Amino acid sequence: MDVNQPKQEHLLALKVMRLTKPTLFTNIPVTCEERDLPGNLFNQLMKDDPSTVKGAETLMLGEMLTLPQNFGNIFLGETFSSYISVHNDSSQVVKDILVKADLQTSSQRLNLSASSAAVAELKPDCCIDDVIHHEVKEIGTHILVCAVSYTTQTGEKMYFRKFFKFQVLKPLDVKTKFYNAESDLSSVTDEVFLEAQIQNITTSPMFMEKVSLEPSMMYNVAELNTVDTAGGSESTFGARTYLQPMDTRQYLYCLKPKQEFAEKAGVIKGVTVIGKLDIVWKTNLGERGRLQTSQLQRMAPGYGDVRLSLETIPDTVNLEEPFDITCKITNCSERTMDLVLEMCNTNSIHWCGVSGRQLGKLHPSSSLHLALTLLSSVQGLQSVSGLRLTDTFLKRTYEYDDIAQVCVVSSEIKQS
Amino acid sequence: PSSLLMLSDPRRDPSSAASGSCARAAPPGPQQTQEEILFHEETIDLGGDEFESEGNETVSEDSNNFVDKLNEQMMESVIISDSPNNSEDDTGELGCLQEMVDQMEAKDNQKSQTEVDKEEFLSNESETEHEETPKDISEIGTDDQASLKEESIQEAVKEEPKLGNNVSVETKPNNSGESTPEHQILSPSTTKPSSEAEPIPVCTIFSQANSASSQPQLFLPDGFESQMVKSPSFSSIIETPVKSNPQVVQPSPSLSKFFGDTVNTNTLASDFFDSFTTSNFISVSNPNASSSVPEQMASLSNGGDGSSSNPTFPVQNGRPEAGGPPSSLEITQSPKPFSQIQAVFAGTDDPFATALNMSELDRRNDAWIPSEETRNVLISVATQQYSAVFIDKENLTMPGLKFDNIQGDAVKDLMLRFLGEQAAVKRQVLNANSVEQSFVGLKQLISSKNWRAAVDLCGRLLTAHGQGYKKSGLPASHTTDSLQLWFVRLALLVKLNLFQSAEMEFEPFGNLDQPDLYYEYYPNVYPGRKGSMVPFSMRILHAELPQYLGNPQESLDRLHSMKIICAKILENLEQGLAEDGSMTNIAQENRQGKFFLKPFFFFTKSVFLLFDYVLAVDAYHSVMKYYPQQEPQLLSGIGRIFLQIGDIKTAEKYFQDVEKATHKLDGLQSQIMVLMNRAFLHLGQNNFAEAHRFFTEILKIDSSNAVANNNAAVCLLYLGKLKDSLRQLEGMVQQDPQHYLHESVLFNLTTMYELESSRSMQKKQALLEAVAIKEGDSFNTQCLKLG
Repeated sequence: MDVNQPKQEHLLALKVMRLTKPTLFTNIPVTCEERDLPGNLFNQLMKDDPSTVKGAETLMLGEMLTLPQNFGNIFLGETFSSYISVHNDSSQVVKDILVKADLQTSSQRLNLSASSAAVAELKPDCCIDDVIHHEVKEIGTHILVCAVSYTTQTGEKMYFRKFFKFQVLKPLDVKTKFYNAESDLSSVTDEVFLEAQIQNITTSPMFMEKVSLEPSMMYNVAELNTVDTAGGSESTFGARTYLQPMDTRQYLYCLKPKQEFAEKAGVIKGVTVIGKLDIVWKTNLGERGRLQTSQLQRMAPGYGDVRLSLETIPDTVNLEEPFDITCKITNCSERTMDLVLEMCNTNSIHWCGVSGRQLGKLHPSSSLHLALTLLSSVQGLQSVSGLRLTDTFLKRTYEYDDIAQVCVVSSEIKQS
Repeated sequence: PSSLLMLSDPRRDPSSAASGSCARAAPPGPQQTQEEILFHEETIDLGGDEFESEGNETVSEDSNNFVDKLNEQMMESVIISDSPNNSEDDTGELGCLQEMVDQMEAKDNQKSQTEVDKEEFLSNESETEHEETPKDISEIGTDDQASLKEESIQEAVKEEPKLGNNVSVETKPNNSGESTPEHQILSPSTTKPSSEAEPIPVCTIFSQANSASSQPQLFLPDGFESQMVKSPSFSSIIETPVKSNPQVVQPSPSLSKFFGDTVNTNTLASDFFDSFTTSNFISVSNPNASSSVPEQMASLSNGGDGSSSNPTFPVQNGRPEAGGPPSSLEITQSPKPFSQIQAVFAGTDDPFATALNMSELDRRNDAWIPSEETRNVLISVATQQYSAVFIDKENLTMPGLKFDNIQGDAVKDLMLRFLGEQAAVKRQVLNANSVEQSFVGLKQLISSKNWRAAVDLCGRLLTAHGQGYKKSGLPASHTTDSLQLWFVRLALLVKLNLFQSAEMEFEPFGNLDQPDLYYEYYPNVYPGRKGSMVPFSMRILHAELPQYLGNPQESLDRLHSMKIICAKILENLEQGLAEDGSMTNIAQENRQGKFFLKPFFFFTKSVFLLFDYVLAVDAYHSVMKYYPQQEPQLLSGIGRIFLQIGDIKTAEKYFQDVEKATHKLDGLQSQIMVLMNRAFLHLGQNNFAEAHRFFTEILKIDSSNAVANNNAAVCLLYLGKLKDSLRQLEGMVQQDPQHYLHESVLFNLTTMYELESSRSMQKKQALLEAVAIKEGDSFNTQCLKLG
């Protein structure tokens, strides 16, 4: 048997071509003026070129479609499309042709053929065509396995396969970061801000059609990526709707716990699921891709046993003039506490009133409000520090420093 | 650039496979006794390893047809065809692949007994290979594998950044549930993100600015991704994102080729120049120019100067002093006092010529503002006419041909190779020898699309001007003619996509501002004439060139400096001054600087189009103001830009504007435009059937519309109708080969031929013959994919 020529023994030929979107043909127009040496020759040549836009020949981006010129890159979330053509190269009729296209990934094997039925016969110079589509869901090596079986006129059963290997790459780099807007002055909720940086790590520009945060059941989300103007809302990214290769965009979302969870917000502990980012992009001529991140998780800030948060505080105060703040003290522990409040002066902050006063018993998950008066002896941005709570049952002291900042100005300035 | 076509023949002798040499087919093993079923497998690697396999074509097991093989090389990355190439590098991988696939296949129950035999054999084989190279399916994901495989993917992922701190990304439909939880830690006490996390600036409005950065998480723990993540090439090559490496496979067209000039220079010229100036060229036609002795030419040219009656140098249009660059030829390495030489030719001062040179039209066209330094030199030349002016050699323009002869006819070469000598003899195109050695011959070559020959002819004519091969760096003197010749030569090089060559020859011109490029530098040759000799088109060309070489920023810089000068000229004119700011009496009707400068702004803007879509759209809008008659075309153009980036919605908006704009007009042209846009929109929505319908609509109105024909055919292919698609394209080409043998059409046609049958070669050769009849030597033969 002659193994040097195995191909010739096959009557059918299998050809596969990846179908990325076609591209628009571009010209490189070179123009000159009438008085230059070539006169109007350059312009005339451009007019005669069928690929130029008539009436505006100097536009580089024409209307002529060209087929993909190479396999290209394929990215996670995109759709892999491929043309599979089985052509009868021989001069005889071939029967019972079965073409099978499978995609082998690292974890599974998928059948991509549109139909699994055998074609009864294929005349010489005819072909069986199939266009397969598959949304790529895995990264790494993929192998397209095309198998063709058929029967020759003599009844001989023939079979051959071809493997096409390609790598699926990652199109985006996503980084996230959480900010806890700890129940500050608004006191109502514990808002969480999510900052997501999305970077285009492909080699072509990418139009971001949708980047949204799908919150988990505990949260409502507000997208902070538009600015409301008179004419409606405007994207914070302006007219630039696309990402150049390696460009990064920063999206911001504000998450608020839903009412039923907000009640317990003060005592939520541990890891919470925030939600996931859903990203839809398009590239050349609407080639689409879609990805989701995994569930984004965040460690709820631990508040210890007793949480002290500020309800009200002025932003600007006069030097050496007393001002009021309201604190909220929440018992985050499982037991009842009996609290004593101590107020320690710092270099700049001086507390007014009696230190060491009894606050009384505080049951688990309950809170109390406390109005305090203090003054600052130093100008500038001053940090409110020096509160101490002692649980007399356990003889445990909790320290609260840097609770908030106030801007201290001299009274003349404030009045003027 | 060829993808690896790895072939594995299951009947290969195990020992030969294990040896790593697959250059020859091994004799059949004992198992291969069955004749019933021919079991033939190929493994084709489509991955990013195209770039390292130049030499692989030497290895082939069953490529019995040399021609076929060539064919593969051209197209390998798109069409995976029957002629596999092999490479030693991949034998190891092959084994593992083989096994992987066979394991998969083992589950197939449609396997006959003979196949089972084979299967056994295959597993034997892969075991053997396993000993040789420890790559096995089970190890694909390991680090070891990653490092082994790294070289095969590193080109493809060259531009991937270091994947440091990322949230794992997964596809929506089925994987979200199974992903392992991330190790995101957010604790109030953590004030710093993990070390590899780039800290995002902390907003101070939040009382707790803790950052929790997600830990790197792999998409699947199987390790396929680890190849990407760990490849060292990630970290090393991040800095060149915009500059698209021409070798990097890019499915969508590179941004660097978007638009060209948005100016119709015809309009410009006809607005301004009467036929008198337009034809005011002096052609130096030198029958000896083809001689390879430039020195001789130079002296000849020198001798002929000043006497327009010299038969060797017919001066056609009667501007005697422009007949040659006399002074330069005497200048030797060290610059001599300029005016001494000039003085010799003082006699040529002709009042008529002076008047002519000072004509308004010339002034307007040549107007340019030199830099301060250059201006000083020019002033000193003007004021010290009879004493010595020394000019630093650095400040002189000393161009010369950088390459001797690029002439060649690729079409003919291909014919020789594929169709034989006899066929090739029939190919007759004009070349630099077969035309008059003058501007007339040059124009003839350009219009017959023999641009390579035209480049050569420009070279010869420049040689006659003493600026020939290897003359770069030698002092030269410039004339209107020599600069026009340079412009044509460089423009043609750009048209031929020979950007590097163009850049090399542009280099001695610097920024086109050296004193010897101004008329004032040659007070005796061009008495009274002012301004720059450099054609404006050449400045544009100079500015646009870098972007074709992957440096759009430089293009932008150059265009900006042009724009500044243009704006300055405008300002001067508005203040009643001459273009260069000098006090001159310019009649009101001659102050049409605005008109004259109009295109400058378009050009200036046009380059933005090449890499910045937002600016591109801006530019289109500004062009529209000046050319309202082009509005529908320009709006469609903007729509297509958005389509190209994938912003379908905005594209649709612009296409709607086109429909509004064309609503008033009812011409065939606008009707076609509307249909074309609708078709493109459907294309963007992935609806090839509808797109095809609209392209076909256009053909009903205008059956000879090349674009619609071609695009309809392309749509058919995406609909799985290869044969119909081919029929459409072939029909169109046969109908009017004169018109439709366009590069893009031919490319599509040959691509489909390759997809259609193993006998694409004959069909491509037939196309070559058709091309040979019509096209000149500037035809881009690559679109035929003949190798």
